[in-house]
Amino acid sequence: MVALLTRCALLCSLLCGATLAAAPDARQQWDLTLDLGLTAASTPLRAWPEGGFGKLRYDGRETPWSAERLLLDYRAHLADTLVAHAVLDYVDDASPRLGVTESYIEWRPIPSSRNIQRWRFGAFYPPMSLENSGPGWSTPLSTSSSAINSWLGDEIRAFGAEWSVHRRLFAAGSPHRLGAAAAVFYGNDPAGTLLFWRGWSVHDRQTRLNDTLPLPPSPVFGPSGSVVDLQPQALRPFTETDHRPGFYAAIDWRYAHKVSVQLSAYDNRALPESFADGQWGWRTRFAQLAAQIALPGEFGLITQWLSGRTDWIIATTPAGLMTPASRLVNDRFDAAFVVLTRRLSDAQRISLRYDDFSYARPAESPELRADEGDAWTLSYRADRGRRLSIAAEWLVIRSARDLWQTFYGLPRSERERRLRLRFVLRLATRSGTP
Amino acid sequence: MRQNATSAALGLGLALCCAVGAASAQAGSAGALSVTVRDRDGKPVGDVAVYALPSASDTGSAPTGAPPPTAIMDQYDKAFVPHILVVQTGTQVAFPNHDSVSHHVYSFSPAKSFELGLYKGSAHPPLTFDESGVVILGCNIHDNMLGYIFVVDTPYFAKTDETGHATIDALPPGGYTVRIWTPRARDGELPDDVSIDVPAQSDRRLDFELEGKLYPPHEDGKSNLSWSRY
Repeated sequence: MVALLTRCALLCSLLCGATLAAAPDARQQWDLTLDLGLTAASTPLRAWPEGGFGKLRYDGRETPWSAERLLLDYRAHLADTLVAHAVLDYVDDASPRLGVTESYIEWRPIPSSRNIQRWRFGAFYPPMSLENSGPGWSTPLSTSSSAINSWLGDEIRAFGAEWSVHRRLFAAGSPHRLGAAAAVFYGNDPAGTLLFWRGWSVHDRQTRLNDTLPLPPSPVFGPSGSVVDLQPQALRPFTETDHRPGFYAAIDWRYAHKVSVQLSAYDNRALPESFADGQWGWRTRFAQLAAQIALPGEFGLITQWLSGRTDWIIATTPAGLMTPASRLVNDRFDAAFVVLTRRLSDAQRISLRYDDFSYARPAESPELRADEGDAWTLSYRADRGRRLSIAAEWLVIRSARDLWQTFYGLPRSERERRLRLRFVLRLATRSGTP
Repeated sequence: MRQNATSAALGLGLALCCAVGAASAQAGSAGALSVTVRDRDGKPVGDVAVYALPSASDTGSAPTGAPPPTAIMDQYDKAFVPHILVVQTGTQVAFPNHDSVSHHVYSFSPAKSFELGLYKGSAHPPLTFDESGVVILGCNIHDNMLGYIFVVDTPYFAKTDETGHATIDALPPGGYTVRIWTPRARDGELPDDVSIDVPAQSDRRLDFELEGKLYPPHEDGKSNLSWSRY
């Protein structure tokens, strides 16, 4: 099923490519952006994309330079009310290097009342991040996303249909706007796996629809005969394991451009004992609350809180059904962040973010606090003309993990620090329709 | 630069409003009506439509039959310019798009329901607004764009400036009902009509107070919450 959905999503991308050639200029928009990074890191842990225990994307061991992302964010009007949107991503730390993070068709029917309705069909992010509002779901505030949104970028994506509606309350001139969204989706059943094995992270990589993510070393991915030997030490988070659709729903309220508050809930409804295509279903559901407030003196604030649970049951081994089934994971995860940002001039912005996160096992578990920590991120960005932005970011992540101690005898706590310079080159831009 | 363009367009829109108002007015023994609009705190309120409807019994001051010139509802910087356009019933309004992006302008208002498919420049011919009332404009691409065309059954109208003042020139002598309108007033909270009599060659002054709490002026995305600007 999900393979079919992925194919559909890729087909959408091809459709976009075809319209690129065929559509009149006014009907399309694209952003082609190259992010280059220079990283200096101080961490005893290998970066997680390298299969290590670390929370950083780059540990700077091989080369300080990285081509973090070549991004094509493309939109085209197939008809007046039909928009195709695809985001192609090239990264230097995944294989294959080229992939698609989102690909969908949006239907924007002409409103016949104050209720403005929108539909999306395809593969897309749930509308849950106030931080990641830039092209290709990037955050314009900093280089790395918060722990919450880094995880949403890692493991959360919907393959399905979304309906949303918003209206101005009371009158057309009212600054109050109320909105709601709901979606039914397939193909996000292993969500939660990476959070358990790797823990929270603060980075800027997004999982592409066909990506396979490395999981940190673990005894359970060991030699043949281990309980979960069925799964390779690799994760494909957008696999469908049980043919049960998941859902999410959100409501939001805005007051002019000053305040925005959003409440949302997600449930992948995966059967936690399901297994398909080398991947386990993890029943993962969470709720989150996000707010964005404009403050005097060019200050702005975004805060987001997320709390959820995940379940994983081993019911099958290579030898057949396992009786009784073993509930290995029945865990709770929580994270929150607050970022204070200030525009310094027309071309400069500085932002300071604090992240707090935890991943807790059941009370009887020896690795009760599987992941617990916080992170500080200080970012500065400056535009140099229309084509170039330069950013500097200082990041420090402190974390304590009982899992490290229990499984590997590693120190329980680590502090990872990273300084990064980032050069964003806008190679091509066309703004036909945003 | 952009701001200049917006101001220029705003000026053009205002000039056109005045032109529409003045063109149909009769010269000679006409008077002027000067209006001030304030909120409940006594602060001036700009962008308020002020219009004078000739009394039904007073045929002497009925509007002349000359068709009003075409008015312009422009689009600059993802905003309708002017935000509020006042026109007389029967006026044609053009919707040129001077943005670098396309717009898809629509209205579902009973006074004029229409849709101008995705376009840039002056792709669509002007539309005739032949029914009085409020026409709320939106863009189906940019949900935050909001504008109004306020269609009135009289050639005698004006819009308050930022000091809350508006002047309707060249009012022929006679009886009028004077009303004001702003989308910032909540339902049912506009002041009552005022009936006046304009003698020949004399000016009248009127003060209106908006007693209810007003909605804040509409913002077209200019805020430090729009992160696209550093």
